[in-house]
Amino acid sequence: MINLQRMIKRPVFTVGSLFSITIMMVLPCHADKAAQPAPFQLPKGMEKLLYENCYACHDEWEQEGDIRLDQLATLEPDTRLDLFNKVQEQIYFGQMPPKKEKIQPTDAERTTMLEWFSAELKKHNASKLEDKKRMPEYANYVDHGKLFSGEYKHLKAFTPDRRWLISEFIFDAKFNRILDHRPMKTIDGQRRGVIGDNGRRANLTNPFLLPTNTGVRYYANATLNGGHLLTMLTNAKNAAVYMTDDLAKRDNSYLPSFNAIVAEEDRHRHILASREEFLSHFIEPVLVDLYKEKHNALLPQFKSVAEEAPAVRGVGKTKKAGFASANPGRTEMEIVFRSMRKHQKHCKTDEELIRKCEQDWFYFGHNLRKTQARVTFLQGYMEEWRDEIKTHKWDQRYKPRIYRSLDQAEMKVIADTIIKFRKKGDRYQTIIDQCMAHWAQKFEQERAAADPLDDALVASLVSQVFIKIHERVPTDEEAGKYLHLTKSYIKSLGNRAAVQKLIQTLILRSDFVYRAEFGQGVADDHGRHRLSPRDASYALAYAITDSSPDQELVKAVKEGRLNTREDYKRQIMRMLKKRDQYYVIDEGVQRLHHTASITNLPIRKLRFFREFFGYPKMLPIFKDNKRFGGNYDMAKGRLVGEADRLVEHILNKDKEVIETLLNTEDFFVFHSGDNKAMKASSERIRRIYEYFKDMDWQNFTVEDLAKHKEFLGEVKMRGIDVKSLVKKGRRDPARSFKTAMASFSLRFDKGESAAAPYVSFPAHGPYNASTRMGMQLRAPEVAKFFNIKLDDWNYPAAQPAKMIHRKGILTHPAWLIAHAQNTETDPVVRGKWVLEKLLAGTVPDTPITVEAVVPEDHHNTMRTRLAKVTEKKYCWTCHERMNPLGYPFEMYDDFGRYRKLESLEHPDNLLKKGPNKGAAHVDLRDIYKTLPVDSKGRLFGTGDKKLDGEVGNAIELADRLSRSSRVRQSVVRHAFRYFMGRNEFVSDSKTLIDADKAYLESGGSFDALIVSLLTSDSFIYRKPSGTSEH
Amino acid sequence: MHNRRNFLKSSALAAGAFTLPTSLSVLAAGSTARVGPRRFVFIRKSNGIRPNELALPTFTDEEKSLDAKKQPMEVDLDKHELPEWLRPIDPYKANLSILQGLSCKMSENGHWSYSSVMGAYKSGRNSLSGIKRATIDFELAKLSPSPFEHVELSLTGSYSTFRTGIVSGYSAPGPHQRNYCYADPQTAYNELFKSVINPGAVDSDNAMLEFLQSEEVFKSEKLLGYEKLKLSNHISSIEAIRARNKKLEKMSDSIARHIPELNPIHAEGGPNASTPEKQKAMTDILVAALVTGLTNVVTYTIDELSTPIKGIKGNEGDHISIHELGHNGGYSGVSAEKIREKIRVGHMEQVATIVERLKATPEGKGSMFDNTVVMYFPENGEGHHSKGTEAPFVVLSGDNCKLDMAGRYIRLPHHATEGHKTIGNWYTTLLNAYGNPIEHYGDFDLEMARKKLDQLGSIKQLMA
Repeated sequence: MINLQRMIKRPVFTVGSLFSITIMMVLPCHADKAAQPAPFQLPKGMEKLLYENCYACHDEWEQEGDIRLDQLATLEPDTRLDLFNKVQEQIYFGQMPPKKEKIQPTDAERTTMLEWFSAELKKHNASKLEDKKRMPEYANYVDHGKLFSGEYKHLKAFTPDRRWLISEFIFDAKFNRILDHRPMKTIDGQRRGVIGDNGRRANLTNPFLLPTNTGVRYYANATLNGGHLLTMLTNAKNAAVYMTDDLAKRDNSYLPSFNAIVAEEDRHRHILASREEFLSHFIEPVLVDLYKEKHNALLPQFKSVAEEAPAVRGVGKTKKAGFASANPGRTEMEIVFRSMRKHQKHCKTDEELIRKCEQDWFYFGHNLRKTQARVTFLQGYMEEWRDEIKTHKWDQRYKPRIYRSLDQAEMKVIADTIIKFRKKGDRYQTIIDQCMAHWAQKFEQERAAADPLDDALVASLVSQVFIKIHERVPTDEEAGKYLHLTKSYIKSLGNRAAVQKLIQTLILRSDFVYRAEFGQGVADDHGRHRLSPRDASYALAYAITDSSPDQELVKAVKEGRLNTREDYKRQIMRMLKKRDQYYVIDEGVQRLHHTASITNLPIRKLRFFREFFGYPKMLPIFKDNKRFGGNYDMAKGRLVGEADRLVEHILNKDKEVIETLLNTEDFFVFHSGDNKAMKASSERIRRIYEYFKDMDWQNFTVEDLAKHKEFLGEVKMRGIDVKSLVKKGRRDPARSFKTAMASFSLRFDKGESAAAPYVSFPAHGPYNASTRMGMQLRAPEVAKFFNIKLDDWNYPAAQPAKMIHRKGILTHPAWLIAHAQNTETDPVVRGKWVLEKLLAGTVPDTPITVEAVVPEDHHNTMRTRLAKVTEKKYCWTCHERMNPLGYPFEMYDDFGRYRKLESLEHPDNLLKKGPNKGAAHVDLRDIYKTLPVDSKGRLFGTGDKKLDGEVGNAIELADRLSRSSRVRQSVVRHAFRYFMGRNEFVSDSKTLIDADKAYLESGGSFDALIVSLLTSDSFIYRKPSGTSEH
Repeated sequence: MHNRRNFLKSSALAAGAFTLPTSLSVLAAGSTARVGPRRFVFIRKSNGIRPNELALPTFTDEEKSLDAKKQPMEVDLDKHELPEWLRPIDPYKANLSILQGLSCKMSENGHWSYSSVMGAYKSGRNSLSGIKRATIDFELAKLSPSPFEHVELSLTGSYSTFRTGIVSGYSAPGPHQRNYCYADPQTAYNELFKSVINPGAVDSDNAMLEFLQSEEVFKSEKLLGYEKLKLSNHISSIEAIRARNKKLEKMSDSIARHIPELNPIHAEGGPNASTPEKQKAMTDILVAALVTGLTNVVTYTIDELSTPIKGIKGNEGDHISIHELGHNGGYSGVSAEKIREKIRVGHMEQVATIVERLKATPEGKGSMFDNTVVMYFPENGEGHHSKGTEAPFVVLSGDNCKLDMAGRYIRLPHHATEGHKTIGNWYTTLLNAYGNPIEHYGDFDLEMARKKLDQLGSIKQLMA
């Protein structure tokens, strides 16, 4: 059963807005108690308006939606305010009275009612409308006609001064920068730096996750909450430790003042480390030298582990664990190896050798359990161990340590301390531990007695940490405050911990987690200020990438070249054209079966369409392999990755971008994005097939293969090493060859002209097509989404290539799955998406009283079942705006596969069971009874009579949508929200019209649209927060 | 049945709680709970639990046959003996339930499940974007707030050595978020009991927060409207953390009373400590974290395939790989089967200790255990290479437990048959019983869906 509640997504209240609503709701209660307000009385004029327009459905006789408006005075104040908020919203969003009602208030009456309710709510500081208006879900309520009519072009656009909570992507970029995390990946055969690979060594948790809705996800409304801060507290601690104990130590230029502050401590640590290393390697010769013949008498009495902890041996026959699973680990093996090498010349038997080694470990004082594990290992695996030593040349890898004494002074200190502490019976480790503790204490006392740190040094540290974290020097005021604070930390925590605490403090400042966008300088005639150049540099950098300003932008700010519109334009165009930086598009996709999810487009440009269309939302939708008829989990990452590649391809062309995204018939299917490589891989398969097809290859032996050594060496086949054409253990080159040939024949014998470049069996190996990151190209099942049979596909090596029954991203299986349920299609969600994202339309929140589910009925299609519940009078008011736009997609199933017949998947309708296992080309689906699909629908709201009207299917719908101005403008509106981080006001009319014009005049360049938006008044000009918006 | 209206209400409550973590908001307001806090302990083990390992040796022929055929059944434990490896918990048979027949196909299977077994979703090979929702332990922690809200411990490794320090965990506080966990006893000890063992560090945290608060207050004075609200939220978040720290300071006497003694072998991550020594120390810490009231929910990964097994009785000298055991490799002539059992016995000894200690700690008119549910379960269902058709749970619950299952061996209908229950149903049962009216927690089983079998909601027969 489908739950309609999921289909019609309720507005997502952002964390911040919920918080503010809570506060607003709480405040009036206190105010009321203090002021004892007068009893509520509805003004006569209002009563009349309510009587005429509302009471018909909301009085004592009828209470639609459980709402009654004829007894407001009797309600508790809080209940009344709650109700007023609902009424205010309904009037503002034009939802009440319902449009079907013949009697409607005039515009003036509507305004009167709205103003009265708003004033009442304002009186109690209880209005929730302002918060709602900020939410992305309500953006379309700003009238589209008003925005693009030109009537409001004269209004002066601006964005309020604001702090904008960082996104999950900026969080990663910030910490990657601070923690010097610069990952490299092999892309197209070259090592390149990538952004967006967040496998940092420091363990951080990203608390700034964006909502998972489709459309624009990153808005400036969100505020930091307790959960964010608590997570940031731990992050700050982990980052601080990594910065000081790792990065600063590795690179002195990282935080030079820190190294200067802890120089003495480091010097002491270095001495201690050097002494410890020396003693751990050479304590025995040192002791022999010091104590001569008395040394042996001071040693403890040797006791073997067998005496201390006898091992219990099992009885009976049992499979023995392999060497790799039984060895005690690399570090332990090195110890074992060194001891063995030392004694093996003098030992005649393994028992003697093991005992000698054990004796060493005993005298040294190694942990009994570890010694026991080494002995057990040697007793059980000596043969394999010797083989390992020989094969992997341990002799060369671990050269003997040559004794070299430290300088005279150091040797004297060591000797004196040993003599001071060594007692009879002490093991070496005990002596070392005592010496180390003694020296550490002495050094600590020395440091405590030293002069306090110089203020200038601490001030320079503050400045360096500020620059590292906030990318700026502190102001004089900040420098003073933080100097004082750091000194207090030093006093209570010591030098190293104090620096770590300073780092934590700076990471927890609000300006680390918020981006600042404030106007600066003299206001213009309209009270607007230009963004400050520094804030502008960040705003531009974060508009196009996730990273802070690059060197060019920083330089432009420094040299006063980021002030004018032209300055902005120059920088934006430069950034948009940049192709020398690679980004990971989606780490989740990257992880799924080696899909190369990378791009060199400025990432935010690609991400806009990714989020706007929302096709990555298919990833968490859990689907049944059996219903897919193959390995769905293997294929889903590739499907999303290839949708990304299509968007990237269209953006790279930058011509008629919006239209092409909606009407392209060319797609990527099982393709790396490298036409040349795909062609070569496909041709290689054909070449092998052609070479062997007329031979009796089915009966080939390894000897037969050897006759074709030269050819096989040239084409290379998985599992066939021409240098070693022998059957060994599980390796059988003849079997591998036959499996591959069987797969190739399966495809070419049916007359395929070109084969998809996949191997016949999934395995690691270099002899197949690769992704652009050099990994095996996997999951050919992705073709099944496009109704392609792998054993009957003339593989187009040059892609994107035409796919039948497809037109645009809305017919891409990834989009269709993302907008479907686990087991069924979802015409409502699909229709709502088209309405809101492409037609700038609105649909009210689902009434709280609606508990709608699509009834289970395995004798009818989804459309019929849905119609039964949604085409009732009460529901149809809203559903008529969604269903007709969603029905055309019924030509695809919930996996996005084209269909004419809908499978009535129910055990009662089962006609034939499909196989449970099979090769990639085998369809594993069960066969059920079917009914014909009705994909007729209706397009409306384009404002173009030629386009509005009945449509036969999604292909027709996509074609008309791609030709609509309204659709293009709706995308422009979403781009505005994405780049501005807020909903549009009527005063943004000029910005939107200009952006639309720039797009059109440039032949559909999305770059031109971005340039227009980011050089608009809406972006450049700011007014203090709280200024009324148009 | 919960209708849409109260479902939305509960969702709104949950969303509100996210604004300020439950524990912080409750602590800031001062707890007014009338009953003792509810406690939950999740103990994850690797390598699966094969359902026949839980079959009772004293089953009648008929029961044995039903159990082997995976037919639904229920028997009282007091009339039966427990399998050998469960003997350490024999004294607590009255509190014990063996829950068989659940499935976990909607979570990751095979060798590992990562966070998915506690979230009932596929985690996409542990990718962040694969984490679909807060795991069940975090959901329960919201219902039973505490200063730490939730504590995660793990004993995992890289086959040859143990992981140490604070590392990525297996639970998820929310979608796309991975929890952190304490990977060795010393780290857990230092972090959890910091207010007692290192009060200086707590003081410096407070000094930092005080400084930050004054700084943000100063900045906010210059702002108006929504921008002022943003900083107000920042300030109140700092205040809430300070309130939590104050609460922790106030608890320092109680912490000092219950703080466990840690064997010095665990210093520096405990490279020389054997697996049983590490398990014992983790148990001590786990119990202390509950008894002191620092947390009411603990998730403990007692082992994972990469956890080295060192120093177990009878194989003291062996360096055992759990993965190898899964492939039937034995050590020192002891079969994999036997070693697997010894590992489980070691686990059960720890479970018994937890129950024993909580029973010995008075609370209200009874003991702390009365309000506790301990769950021991495999991270990946029924075997080393699991399919997820079975996911057994060993549950020990106190007298005030809101579930009706103690003292019974329960086998639910087998996977993809009428009446079958998944881990989603099991977690829904826990949530519904303890105050979250959620309609269903977790993803659905697709084979059940394909067969149009009902799988929504709690397991009614377990609801008290």
